[in-house]
Amino acid sequence: MEYAIELRHITKTFGSVVANHDVSLDVRKGEILSLLGENGSGKTTLMNMIAGIYYPDSGEIIVDGKLVEIRSPKDAYALGIGMVHQHFKLIDVFTAAENIALVLDKQEKYNLKDIKAKAQQICERYSFDIDLEQKVYEMSVSQKQTLEIIKMLYRGAQLLILDEPTAVLTPQETEKLFAVMRNMRADGKSIIIITHKLHEVLSISDRVAILRKGEYAGTIDTAAADEASLTELMVGKKVELNIEREAPVNPHLRLNVHNLTITNAEGIKVLDQVSFEAFSGEILGIAGISGNGQKELLEAIAGLQHPEKDSSIVYYPDDDRDSTAEQLIGKSPKNIRDMGIHLSFVPEDRLGMGLVGSMGMIDNMMLKTYSEGHSPLVDRKGPRYLAEEIKDELGVVTPSISTPVSRLSGGNVQKVLVGREIAAAPSVLMTAYAVRGLDINTSYTIYHLLNEQKKSGVAIIYVGEDLDVLIDLCDRILILCGGKCNGIVDARKTNKEEVGLLMTRLAGKQEGGVA
Amino acid sequence: MKKFIALVLAAMLCMLACSALAADLKVGVILVGDETEGYTLSHMNGVKEAAANLGIAENQIIWKYKTPEDQTCYDAALDCIGQGCNLIISNSYGHQTYMVLAAEEYPDVTFVSMTGDFAALTGLDNFKNAFTKVYEARYVSGVVAGMKVAELLASGELSPEKQPNSFDADGNVKIGYVGAFDYAEVVSGYTAFFLGIRSVVPNVVMEVNYTNSWFDIDKEAAAAEALIAKGCVIIGQHADSTGAPAATQKLQDAGTLCYCVGYNIDMIPTAPTAALTSPTNVWSVFYTQLMNAMINGEEIAADWAEGFATDAVKLTDLNTAICAAGTVEKVEEVIAGIKDGSVKVFDASSFTVGGQTLSSSEVDMTIMDWATMTVAYEGQKYEAIVDGAFAESDFRSAPYFALRIDGITEIK
Amino acid sequence: MTNTHHEPLMRIVKRSESTFKHKVIIRLIAVLLALVIDAMFIYFVTGLNPFAVYTTMFQGTFSNPMRFSWAMRDLASLLLVGIALAPAFKMRFWNIGAEGQVLVGALATAAVMVYYGGKLPNALLYPTMLIAALAAGALWGFVPGVFKAKFGTNETLFTLMMNYVAIQLVACCVNIWRGQASGLGKLNMKSKAGWFPQVFGQRYNINLIVVVLLVVLMYCYLRYTKQGYEISVVGESENTARYAGINVGKVIIRTMILSGALCGLTGFLIVGGRDQTISTGTAGGNGFTAIIVAWLAKFNTFYMALISFLLIFLEKGAGEIASAYNLNDFASDIIAGIILFCILGSEFFINYKPIFRSSKQTSIGKEVA
Repeated sequence: MEYAIELRHITKTFGSVVANHDVSLDVRKGEILSLLGENGSGKTTLMNMIAGIYYPDSGEIIVDGKLVEIRSPKDAYALGIGMVHQHFKLIDVFTAAENIALVLDKQEKYNLKDIKAKAQQICERYSFDIDLEQKVYEMSVSQKQTLEIIKMLYRGAQLLILDEPTAVLTPQETEKLFAVMRNMRADGKSIIIITHKLHEVLSISDRVAILRKGEYAGTIDTAAADEASLTELMVGKKVELNIEREAPVNPHLRLNVHNLTITNAEGIKVLDQVSFEAFSGEILGIAGISGNGQKELLEAIAGLQHPEKDSSIVYYPDDDRDSTAEQLIGKSPKNIRDMGIHLSFVPEDRLGMGLVGSMGMIDNMMLKTYSEGHSPLVDRKGPRYLAEEIKDELGVVTPSISTPVSRLSGGNVQKVLVGREIAAAPSVLMTAYAVRGLDINTSYTIYHLLNEQKKSGVAIIYVGEDLDVLIDLCDRILILCGGKCNGIVDARKTNKEEVGLLMTRLAGKQEGGVA
Repeated sequence: MKKFIALVLAAMLCMLACSALAADLKVGVILVGDETEGYTLSHMNGVKEAAANLGIAENQIIWKYKTPEDQTCYDAALDCIGQGCNLIISNSYGHQTYMVLAAEEYPDVTFVSMTGDFAALTGLDNFKNAFTKVYEARYVSGVVAGMKVAELLASGELSPEKQPNSFDADGNVKIGYVGAFDYAEVVSGYTAFFLGIRSVVPNVVMEVNYTNSWFDIDKEAAAAEALIAKGCVIIGQHADSTGAPAATQKLQDAGTLCYCVGYNIDMIPTAPTAALTSPTNVWSVFYTQLMNAMINGEEIAADWAEGFATDAVKLTDLNTAICAAGTVEKVEEVIAGIKDGSVKVFDASSFTVGGQTLSSSEVDMTIMDWATMTVAYEGQKYEAIVDGAFAESDFRSAPYFALRIDGITEIK
Repeated sequence: MTNTHHEPLMRIVKRSESTFKHKVIIRLIAVLLALVIDAMFIYFVTGLNPFAVYTTMFQGTFSNPMRFSWAMRDLASLLLVGIALAPAFKMRFWNIGAEGQVLVGALATAAVMVYYGGKLPNALLYPTMLIAALAAGALWGFVPGVFKAKFGTNETLFTLMMNYVAIQLVACCVNIWRGQASGLGKLNMKSKAGWFPQVFGQRYNINLIVVVLLVVLMYCYLRYTKQGYEISVVGESENTARYAGINVGKVIIRTMILSGALCGLTGFLIVGGRDQTISTGTAGGNGFTAIIVAWLAKFNTFYMALISFLLIFLEKGAGEIASAYNLNDFASDIIAGIILFCILGSEFFINYKPIFRSSKQTSIGKEVA
């Protein structure tokens, strides 16, 4: 068997954290290998060592049967290894072709015409769909990713590493990517793909290598695997895949959003006349391809946007529809809080909006409550107690509750954020991509927390990307497309195909199919 | 002459130098610049020469270079005292207000603020000012320039026909002067220079161009070029750089008829065929007197001002190649006249102010606090016209001649 | 191609957490290293005895109580600006305008001294000077603050430009006040109106007392008050601040008023307690040096005091070396600079550690890039 790359006994530590311990795995020529593992299991670190970004503490890397040193991405390129990172390394103001030119060897001559011709060949060979003259800032996420892959192939990559490439793609784009990957495999290239989505693993890869807590847990042929067996290998124990869902108890109207329209700084309507109702004791799912107005919708309710006039967001504290209804438009987050309305909001950007990365858990606990009371001094007693509580109850792994939260892993950061928002005893709880990037265990912890809140009568708005989860977790699902509401469906009666269709169908062609 | 005095002093003081007193003297010298700057360099050389004359060792002198005219000066003075200095000298006018503070606090230490003007008014026994009568040397340098103008006129090289631009409407020859600031020090100096010229050539006028800086090569050059462009045939200066002589040489090389008189240092290397001479201070004369007095426990004047009489001022070597014939003799004659009193620089009969010959001019030694328009140091008023001449530097060392005499125009 | 298999000579690894002892050891090594490099420089370039030079350097600050007192006085001026800058920089507001804010504070103080000195009793004169200085500094901070908050202007350029406005204002006033004298000299030389009273023998001791108080107060302000908390949040992310319900614009303006006012206070203390006069050099570059102080200390005012002391010690030491050995002051600045470089460089090794390859090397074929 010919191997593209073999890793032997690789170990890598960061301070006291062991990211990889004694990992050995290999990739055959002309195969697609899925690298599977929970969050923090060391997948990205391992790949970074192949790509020359990190250097292993110990262990050997063998490429094409020869022991090699990979000290820098340059070494990796020279060995035919290319990695497409989660965060693209592109220059926004350059065109696609100019970005490709950036990877040129020193010896190569800079001739944009030749570069374009060669890149065009690659595109045709693997049927990439890209305009080489387009500037990167005009590109969609999917196009940028394509460009990254072309860049690597241009540089002569024989082994391509894709780090969670589908996380940012629509199902259709994912299919396109997979088609291209199969073309590359047919051409004899080897591909390592990191993903969390088990169905993708099963559909694209030849073999699956699994990492568990930084250690190698084994490789199995995809043909012999199913979701259950992969999950078991990954988490080490059997996890209940079904999400519990109970019928809403005594729901009553909590939020009435009417004609919500938001125009962004560029003058584009990011939300266009969106209307819906949210009920207590219910989880309302928001489905849609990333960037179709989900963020603005939640922020508008939280008082962080400036909706157009005629927009209306009315909050009802209890059964009485009229007496104490409050209009939220035009109110700042502080105004809303001062009105006694507990809106909790888990934003998509956890460290850039929901939390202060440089602060510890304690200081993050008081982000929304610090100003309470008349003393000019902050009171850290309550937040300290709350931080301890959340740490214990949600099992936040952190050296101390004073450690800056930016040093925690993604899952723990999310636990801190969700924990704080739930602790605020909300009447409305909004979450944006609450489980993005989280491993299965943590994801289920979050689902469980949401269901608890639902039971206690909170109106929950859940913006998600995984349709299976949306359909299993939510009571109703609102589908956003191009800033318009493309419909609200009963989650118990719908299926992925229906929701997926609503997500991609242009709102203009839709004739008022609101359920 | 100067060498002779130095020799005599050295011989005389040889014995004193061996005495314990000379060894007790420790001098702190606070300098506004360092050896890269002509003004400070001449003071440094003066102090070193005096120390050599008196057998004062190098380690008895503490130098404080590049001391700005602010609190740093006070700190430097105290720091010198902390290191055992009993004589503190500062070389810039602006140091004075900080020196006086230190002088108030340390009555046992002698402070000398060179070029300062209010030591005598403070009533402090340990605070002194000193300045040379450099206007005497400027007058003589004016004589040198006047001889040159006379020669040019006599030879016909300079004539209203050839250089109409160099004569004013009344047929007076135009002279130029590059001044730093419009302070009395500068006014006194350019007036002396002008009167020196006029003692040889009666029909001259002068324009003064200010640079508002003591040291700015570019500005001084620009000022000189502007004056020469107006037709000035002689450029005098009271600013510290070589800008004006260099500019004069450049224009002379380009065919313009112009010569210059420098200041402080020999300008012949800068302007070999344009610089006639430079008036300069001989600081070592004062420093030697000062240190000698300190060693002997003698008082020195609160306001020390001396000139040719003790060789405290001089002219640098005459540029004999271009100076008019007989200049050397004339210079010796004028200097001798100044020494014996027969030549008075500011002879009241030699100038008019507003068309009038002065028979009386009151000078007020009071130092004003201009910010609050109050009196900082109350000074006496004096009648400055004594024996038919303006008594410059007699009532205090720093110049106070600030009259604007007829024949000179200032451009600001 | 066959080659010797070897890992990189050195690689840099992030440390998990440095203990206090560890940090102290690294800094000590840095100082020792600096002294060794300096010794070579001194010996080979200047030809002097390094130990004698070090002694001289030390004497710059410590040879007598007077010098130590001066070092403290200069430290006060630098540290005061550092403290004033801390809230602004903690908010990630690049206030490059401290120099100008100090100058306008000093100018306001001087103006009150000139126009009200002798006319107001001291009991009124001092508060008037103080209020004028605070107001002037606050104004100089408020203007860029409000433009940043309302129009999103670039505060770095804005505050920098405000410096030049302040310098020209000062130059203009100095020129008016000096009248026919060649320089301004000390203000109110005769009446000493507005000069701080001597405390423990020195007027500037008041500055020292104020700076000690402010070190503690600013530490508490940033750490324990709600406003301090808001500053931290805004500094980390404006999005987070808005999410938390903080009025970002208000915090920016308020903090810049505070920062500017404290710079103004510095100007007041410099004029009243240290210089008793004003010039365009009154702030003396402290407005810029203090940025280094604030950043190095990560806005911890106690560390700021230490760093200020180090900078002043080096400055005084360099000056003393230049004076004592008749050295060009560039040479003495190099000596001080090497020490500063090593100490700053050691910060890297507190967060990272180098790992050198082990001596054993195996000979295995290697694909050469």
